[in-house]
Amino acid sequence: MITFEQLTAKLDAQFPDKLNSYSEYKCNFIKVKDTSVYMEVMTALKEEFSFMYMVDVVATHWPKRRDKFEVTTNLFSIANKLRVFVKLADEDNKFPTLTDLWPGANLLEREQYDLVGVIFEGHPDLRRVLLPEFFDGHPLRKDFPLKERTWFNNADEQGIGLKFSR
Amino acid sequence: MGRTENVSEVVTVNMGPQHPSTHGVLRLVVDLDGETIVNVDPDVGFLHRGTEKLAENRTYHQTIPLTDRLDYLSPLSNNLAYCLAVEKFFDLEIPERAEYLRVILAEMSRVASHLVWIATHALDIGAMTVFLYAFREREEILDMFEVATGQRMTSSWIRIGGLRDDMPEDFFVRLADFVSRFDKCVDEYENLLTKNRIWMGRTIGIGHLSAEDTMVYGTSGPLMRGSGVDFDLRRDESYGIYDRFEWEIPVEEAGDTYARYKVRMKEMRESNKILQQALEQIPAEGSVMTDDPRVALPSHEDVYERMEALIRRFYIVSKGFKPPKGETYQGIEAPKGELGFYLVSEGEERPYRMKIRSPSFVNLGVVNKMAKGHMLADIVAIIGTNDVVLGEIDR
Repeated sequence: MITFEQLTAKLDAQFPDKLNSYSEYKCNFIKVKDTSVYMEVMTALKEEFSFMYMVDVVATHWPKRRDKFEVTTNLFSIANKLRVFVKLADEDNKFPTLTDLWPGANLLEREQYDLVGVIFEGHPDLRRVLLPEFFDGHPLRKDFPLKERTWFNNADEQGIGLKFSR
Repeated sequence: MGRTENVSEVVTVNMGPQHPSTHGVLRLVVDLDGETIVNVDPDVGFLHRGTEKLAENRTYHQTIPLTDRLDYLSPLSNNLAYCLAVEKFFDLEIPERAEYLRVILAEMSRVASHLVWIATHALDIGAMTVFLYAFREREEILDMFEVATGQRMTSSWIRIGGLRDDMPEDFFVRLADFVSRFDKCVDEYENLLTKNRIWMGRTIGIGHLSAEDTMVYGTSGPLMRGSGVDFDLRRDESYGIYDRFEWEIPVEEAGDTYARYKVRMKEMRESNKILQQALEQIPAEGSVMTDDPRVALPSHEDVYERMEALIRRFYIVSKGFKPPKGETYQGIEAPKGELGFYLVSEGEERPYRMKIRSPSFVNLGVVNKMAKGHMLADIVAIIGTNDVVLGEIDR
């Protein structure tokens, strides 16, 4: 069993000046400041610190910030009974995929691509999940228009819609 | 024709979205080689209501009814997860009686949800009788919900800071009666199924998941415990007052559909134990809503007498309260697995971003792995053992 303080101390020794760890409202966050070490941090968390349980992937759109997109990965270590949130922010919407490490990220990343429009590079099957293929835009972005809803009306004329073959 | 034995042709078959065994509007695109499943591609989203986007444009209180409609078989668990997440922003103290009532409602939801699961899962596989037995008890629970909250299903009874109101005395009388009988009812279901040869034939060895698979695929709840992972958020990341009760976490090593069946049957018995203890320990009276002025509505007596209370009440109802800036997450052990709410607050009345981590959605991601190599008829058992609820998957 390790605590969050012990975990961050070990990670800081491994990746000096690359991580910013903090706790707020009883949740533990690790912010990765450098994209290049992101995959190494994730691999270390999974292989060394037994964060095997992939809980969630959350993408957030921050149009007013310099780093417009942020992906938060929710990981749980059953051996240590510890939950961490790993954050990575970037100017554009391209992030590395975690599907190779946690196959469960496949569906979760597809959902975030669908709703927020974050592109996970290297994802084996990046398609929309909840919304239909012909949907325009990504509704959970902050600049998504809420009132001008025209995109469903001409689905039939365009020959798009539910198809029963692939 | 010129077809040799080694050549096989893969046929794509569409299943759903209106298939009776898909528990809602789930469409499966199944690639078959003969009758053997090569690939399953679940197609979801037919019930998508945009709950996460709606929540961004509503106050924190107004989102509670939306959470009812996620997993509509256990609405009170959803309320609880959402309210606990919002309460984390304020670090609220919940009154003792409200904590106990929350546990009672959450465990009753778990039993009700598992009863629907056993009923429909058995019905899909061909055991009609269990359906009638399980719905008999579920009906009682829904009647108790109606007595307590006025609604059978979408009750929205758990609120930020406590509960909407206290329960009538009748509720406790009925519940005590139900709890004393329920173990025998589970015996009845088990008599029908556990040693049933057809049931065993249809479930043993079907949809196997190893312990590591369940973790890396993120499948939580009974799917994890059916594969030998001893993990339950009620104990391992304890919320509310679950640390005050004594119960066991059922774990089965086999990792197949039969093991998950046994886990869920035991879970119903363990929930019953928690209900018994909660009924014994619950304080006889007391408030069920926090009096923290940041979130609680002032009482009517106060409103009629004091100007400040009137203003405060008007402000909270019309504009909402403002949590501090930050991000937080609360996961609970819902009937189907880990149900979590991730909230991002910018210090305004509305959440900046709300992400629902719904157990059914993540559990659906493992269907392909579970079904590969099995027969087409087994996919019905695999969907059943996953215990999917489409309201929660599509959100």
